[in-house]
Amino acid sequence: MRSFLNCWIGMWMLVLPAGAAVPLEEDFRKNVEPVLSTYCYDCHADGVDKGDFSMDSYESLSAHLEDREVWLRVWDNLRSHLMPPADKEQPLDAERAKLAGWIERNVFKLDPANPDPGRVTIRRMNRQEYKNTVEDMLGVDFNVEDALPPDDTGYGFDTIGDVLSISPMLMEKYLDAARRIVEVALKPQKAEMPKIVIGGDEFKAPAPLKKTGKWLPFSQPTEVTRKKVVEHAGEYQVTIDFQTTGSEEATNHAATLGLKVNGAEVDAESLGWDNRKSVKFSTKVKLTEGENRITLVTKETEKPLEGEKPLTLVVNRVTMTGPLDGRVKVYPKDYYRVFYKGGAPKEPAEREAYAREILRRIADKAFRRPVDEATLNRLMELYGGAAKEPKTVFEEDVGYAVTAVLASPKFLFRAEVQAEPNNPAKVVPVDEFALASRLSYFLWSSLPDAELFELAESGELRANLADQVDRMLDDPKAGRFVENFVGQWLQTRDVEGINVDPRRVFGIRDLGDAFKVFGGKQRRAMKLETELFFANLIKENRSALEMFTADYTFLNETLAKYYGIEGVKGDEMRRVSLTKESHRGGVLTHGSLLVVTSNPTRTSPVKRGLFVLENLLDTPAPPAPPDVPALEDAKKGAKEKMTMREMMVVHREKALCASCHARMDDLGLALENFNAAGMYREDEGGAAIDTAGRLITGEKFSTVAELNQILATSRRADFYRCITSKMLTYALGRGTEYFDAPTIDQISAELEKNGGKLRTLIHGIVQSVPFQKRRGDGAL
Amino acid sequence: MGRRSFLRGLGTCLSLPAMESLLPMRMAAAEAGGAVTASGAPLRMAFLYIPNGVILDKWRPVGEGKDFQFGATMEPIAKHKESLQIFTGFEHANGWAGKDGGGDHARANATVLTGARPKKTSGSDIQLGMSVDQVAAREVGAATRFKSLELTCDAVRASGGCDSGYSCAYQFNLSWRSETQPATPEPSPRLVFERLFGSGDKEERAKSFMARQQKQKSILDFVMEDAKAMTKQLGRNDQNKLDEYLTGVREIEQRIASMEKFGPPPDPGSEAPEEGIPGGYEAHIRLMMDMQVLAFQTDSTRISTLLLAHDGSNQTFKEIGVPDGHHSLSHHQGDAVKIAKIEKIDLFYARQLAYYLDQMSRVKDAQGGSLLDNSMVVYCGGLSDGNRHRHDDLPVIVAGRAGGHFQPGRHVKLGSNTPMSNLHLRLLKEMGCKTDRFGDATEMLKMI
Repeated sequence: MRSFLNCWIGMWMLVLPAGAAVPLEEDFRKNVEPVLSTYCYDCHADGVDKGDFSMDSYESLSAHLEDREVWLRVWDNLRSHLMPPADKEQPLDAERAKLAGWIERNVFKLDPANPDPGRVTIRRMNRQEYKNTVEDMLGVDFNVEDALPPDDTGYGFDTIGDVLSISPMLMEKYLDAARRIVEVALKPQKAEMPKIVIGGDEFKAPAPLKKTGKWLPFSQPTEVTRKKVVEHAGEYQVTIDFQTTGSEEATNHAATLGLKVNGAEVDAESLGWDNRKSVKFSTKVKLTEGENRITLVTKETEKPLEGEKPLTLVVNRVTMTGPLDGRVKVYPKDYYRVFYKGGAPKEPAEREAYAREILRRIADKAFRRPVDEATLNRLMELYGGAAKEPKTVFEEDVGYAVTAVLASPKFLFRAEVQAEPNNPAKVVPVDEFALASRLSYFLWSSLPDAELFELAESGELRANLADQVDRMLDDPKAGRFVENFVGQWLQTRDVEGINVDPRRVFGIRDLGDAFKVFGGKQRRAMKLETELFFANLIKENRSALEMFTADYTFLNETLAKYYGIEGVKGDEMRRVSLTKESHRGGVLTHGSLLVVTSNPTRTSPVKRGLFVLENLLDTPAPPAPPDVPALEDAKKGAKEKMTMREMMVVHREKALCASCHARMDDLGLALENFNAAGMYREDEGGAAIDTAGRLITGEKFSTVAELNQILATSRRADFYRCITSKMLTYALGRGTEYFDAPTIDQISAELEKNGGKLRTLIHGIVQSVPFQKRRGDGAL
Repeated sequence: MGRRSFLRGLGTCLSLPAMESLLPMRMAAAEAGGAVTASGAPLRMAFLYIPNGVILDKWRPVGEGKDFQFGATMEPIAKHKESLQIFTGFEHANGWAGKDGGGDHARANATVLTGARPKKTSGSDIQLGMSVDQVAAREVGAATRFKSLELTCDAVRASGGCDSGYSCAYQFNLSWRSETQPATPEPSPRLVFERLFGSGDKEERAKSFMARQQKQKSILDFVMEDAKAMTKQLGRNDQNKLDEYLTGVREIEQRIASMEKFGPPPDPGSEAPEEGIPGGYEAHIRLMMDMQVLAFQTDSTRISTLLLAHDGSNQTFKEIGVPDGHHSLSHHQGDAVKIAKIEKIDLFYARQLAYYLDQMSRVKDAQGGSLLDNSMVVYCGGLSDGNRHRHDDLPVIVAGRAGGHFQPGRHVKLGSNTPMSNLHLRLLKEMGCKTDRFGDATEMLKMI
C-alpha cells in the first residue's frame, strides 16, 4: 500500500510541471494521506472495498484526482459525519475541515474568491407564489388550493425550478385560472356619485374626553366631530347609520341626535329604544370644497323610568353621497387598480390608447420587466379582435388580452436571459429586473413592487440592495417568507394536517373529547408559535441560535394551557417569557416540531432525531436499509411493557441498525418528555423517562436544555452551515452543490462573527455569488 | 384474419377465441387506430393503485385456475369472480434496492406502471420511463376527446423530502408522459367533471365548453408565440422546461381540433360533484371511481389511472376502526394486532374495488355487454409484503374481458419473477399499440 502510493505520486510528478506538482505532492503526503490512511483505508483500500468503494484503485494520482465522483462521496460523507462510521475512530473536527478543504481546492478546484454561481432552471411560479402574485398585481384573492394541483418539492422545498414541471393538465388549469381571475379583476362596473364613508369611531369628542361616535350614552350630552376634506362643493345626502343599545326591553329613555355641518345645526332625529342593529337617518346638507366639520350632537330628552336600563347611541357609520347634481361620477375603488383613469373614453383613438396603456401596465408587472412593443402590439390585436364584435364591452375586451398575459410563459415562468446561454464558462450578473424578481420571490413569494421595479428600471437596485432587503423584511409581506420557508424547513405547514390521533395519544375514548384536548385550535396555535418565533427573529434581528436558547415563545391562551403555562388570556398570540419549570424553550420544544415528527399513535425518536440531523445540523443519516426490522420487533420475548428507550436499545443491538441509530436515537430520545401531540409528560405509562444521551461528535447531555446548549455552542458551526444551506436552497430554487461550499462557508463565517444574526444571514444570501450571478448551461 | 388485424390496427395478430364471430365494425373507431375490441366496441384500460402491500396470506386465493376460493380480505369482490383474474408471480425487478439503497416505497410507486428504474434524485433530473397508460394514450388516445385521464385520491403533500432521497414526483404520480415528465393527476372530482363535460348547469355546459374552447384558440396562438420567442434566448435545460409548456399548449390545441371532430361533450346525465376534496377517504375514492366510470361510459377517454394513495402513505382509516397510519402499520414485524389492522385496510380497499366493479358491470356498453366486458382494469400494488418491502409476488388483479380476449374467472399462477411489464405489454397489444417493447418486459404475457 505504501509503496503503491509512492509510485502513484511519482508518476503523477512526471505528468505535471514540477513547480506546481511539488507543493501539491508534499501537501498530499503531509496533510492528506495520513488522515486517509488512519480513518479510511482500513475499509476502502488495499483490496478492501467495503460498500463497493475503494480509494486506491487508480493508476496514478492524477487519475485519482480526476475522479471527481469518488472525491465527491468522500467529501460529502466527511462533511456530514457519515464516515467514518460511528463505531470507528473519528477524526477531529479540524482534521475533517482540513481534508474537506484540500478536496475543495485540489479536486473540485473551487476558488472562494470566484465561486461558480451554478445554474438555476427557469422557475414556474408555485401555487403560493401564483396566488400572491395575482393578489398583489390585480387585487384578486384566488383560491389556488382548489384550482391548481399541489406542487412537487425537491430538496424539501417547492421553489425548485427543476421539479416544478408543467403538465398539459396544469396548462389547462392555468388557462382556466386566467379566465376566472380576469372575470373578477376586470369586471365591468358602473360609475356612481362619490361616497365619503366615515366610521363611527372616527368621530371624536374634544380633548380631554376620550369618547367616540361608537359609544355615546344618552345621559351624557356630547358633541363628537370629524373633519373631512371634500373635493367637490355642493349638496350631499348624509346618512347616519346607527343603533341604540343597552336594554333588551323597551324603555322610556330618549334623546336627540343632531347633525351640525361646519358649526351650523342642519337636522336632528329623535332617539329611543330600538333593537335593530342598523337604523338609518338621512338628510341633505351643503358641503364646501376643502375641509368640512361634521359634528354629531346628543342630548337627553327623557330619563329612563325606575328599573329601566339606560340607552347608548352607537354610530356605525356616516355616509355622504354627492354632489347630488350628478356632475361628478366615480367608479368603485378597486376598479381603478386596472382602469386607472376610470371608464373608457368614447373617442375610438383615445379608447385604443387607453387600452394600450392599461395592457402595458399589466404586462410590465406580470412579466416583471418592461414589455416590448411587439408583444404589446400582439396584445392589442387580441383586444382589437374582441372589440370588433357586436355589443362589445371595453372591460371585457381588455380582459381578453389580459387572459393571454396571465397564460403566457413570461408570466408563469421567471426566465432569466443571458448571453451565450449554453456556454457554462460564461458567468454574468443577473440583470436588475431579474434581481428584483429573485428578491421579491425570495422574501415576499410574489412579484416586485413598484419601488423595486423603478429601482431596476433606473439601474439602481444593486446599489441600494441592503436598504431594499431591510425594507422588504419590514414589510408585512415578509410574513409569506416565514410561512413558506419555515413552513417547509421546520415543516410547520404540516402541523394542522398531520395524522396524530389524540384518542390514542391521550387514551381518550370519545373523539369529540379527544379533539378538545388536541384539535384544530391547538394545532393552529402551534403553527403560529413557530412562525411568529421566527418572524420575530427577523424583525428584531436576533440570533438564529435563539432557536435553541430562547427563554420565551409565542402563545395564546389555548396553547399556554396546553403547555401548562399560567396567566395567558385570550386568543391572540403574544410573546411569553418562559421559566425553567415550563420545560419549554427553543424550537425543539415547540409543539409544531414535536407533532410533525411523531407517528399517529406514538412518538418517534427516530423521526425526531432525523429531523434534528437533517434540518438543524445538515448531517442526514443514510437511508434505512431494506428488510429493516421494526421497532416493535424489539418487544418480542421481552417483558410486557417497555419504554420507547428500552425498545430502541434492543433494536439497536442489531449490528445492522446500530451504526445509523447511534446518530439519530439519542437526539430523538432527548425529546421523550413530550408525547406525540407535543404535551409534556413526566413518565411514559408509569415508567420513568431517561433523556440522557450523546451526540455522535461526543458531547454528552442529560436534558433537552443541555442538548440545546450543545447545539448552540459546540455544534454551532454545523447549524450555521445548515440554516445557510437550507435558506440558500429556498432562495435560489436549486439544491446546493459542492461548488456552493465556499459560499456557505463564507456566510457561516459571517454569522459566527455577528453572533448568528438572522438579517446577516439573509443579507449574506442576497449578496452571495449564486444569488447575484448566473452562468450558461452545461457541465463545467 | 387479415381483415381483423387491419381493423385492430395491428401488424401481427393475437389468437382469438375460435367461437367469436366478427360483428359489424365500427369504422370510426377503427379508423382512429386502436383502443377497440375485436367487435369494434371501445376498449378501456384502467389502473387502480393500492399502497404499502397487503397481508398476502389473507389476500391470496386458495386453489388455482378456475377452481379457487377468494382470500379473506378479497371476499368483497367474490361476486365478480367470473369477471376477474388474480395473478400470482408478478415482479418488478427494478423495485429492488440494487445499488440505490433505501426508498422502496418510491420505487414501488415508480415502477408499477413503467417497469423502469427511477433515477435516485431528490430534486433535479428526475428520470423514469414512460408508463403503460401513456404509451397507449400516445398511440391510440386520439380515438377519444381525451387521450387519457389521470386521477388521484392523494392530494396532500408533506413538506420536506419524500422517500429516502427520491423526488416526491416518483411517489405521487403513476403516469409518466415521458422519461422525465410525470402526468400530474387531478384530485378534485368536481374539476374532473368540469374538464370532461364543461362547467355551469346542464344546459350551459355544452355551450360554455365549446365557447371557451373557441376563445382559447387565439389566446393559445399568443402564448405559443411568446414561448417560441422565449425559447430562442434560453439554454438547453430551460428550453426543456419550456418544451413542457409548449407540449401543454399543443395538447390543448389538439383537444380543440378534436372537439371540432367529436362535437360538444356528451351529457353525462348526472350533476357535477361538490367543489373541493370530499372529507372522507372512502367518499373521495368512490367519487373518483364514479368519474372514471363516467368518462368511460361517455367514451370521453379509454385510458385512465387512479392512485388511491401513494406508496408509503400513512393514511388512517378511522371509519373502520384503524386510527394508525397505514405505512407505520405495514412494518408489522409479525405483530398479530397490527396484522389484523392491515387486513382491515386490505378489506377496505377490496370493498372499494367491489364498488368500482359494481359500477363497471352495471353500465351497459355498445353492443349490449357491460362496460366491464370491454375493459381491462388492473388493480395492483407495487409491494407485496409491505413489512419487508418485497417487489415480487405482487398483488395484481385484472378485471374485465377485453372484449372477449381475456379469460377471467381464474387464479393464474405464473411462476415466480414474471416481469409485470409482460402484462403491460399484453395490455398494449390489446389496445392496438404497435410497440413490442415495454419496460423490462421479457415477452408478452399469454396466460390471461
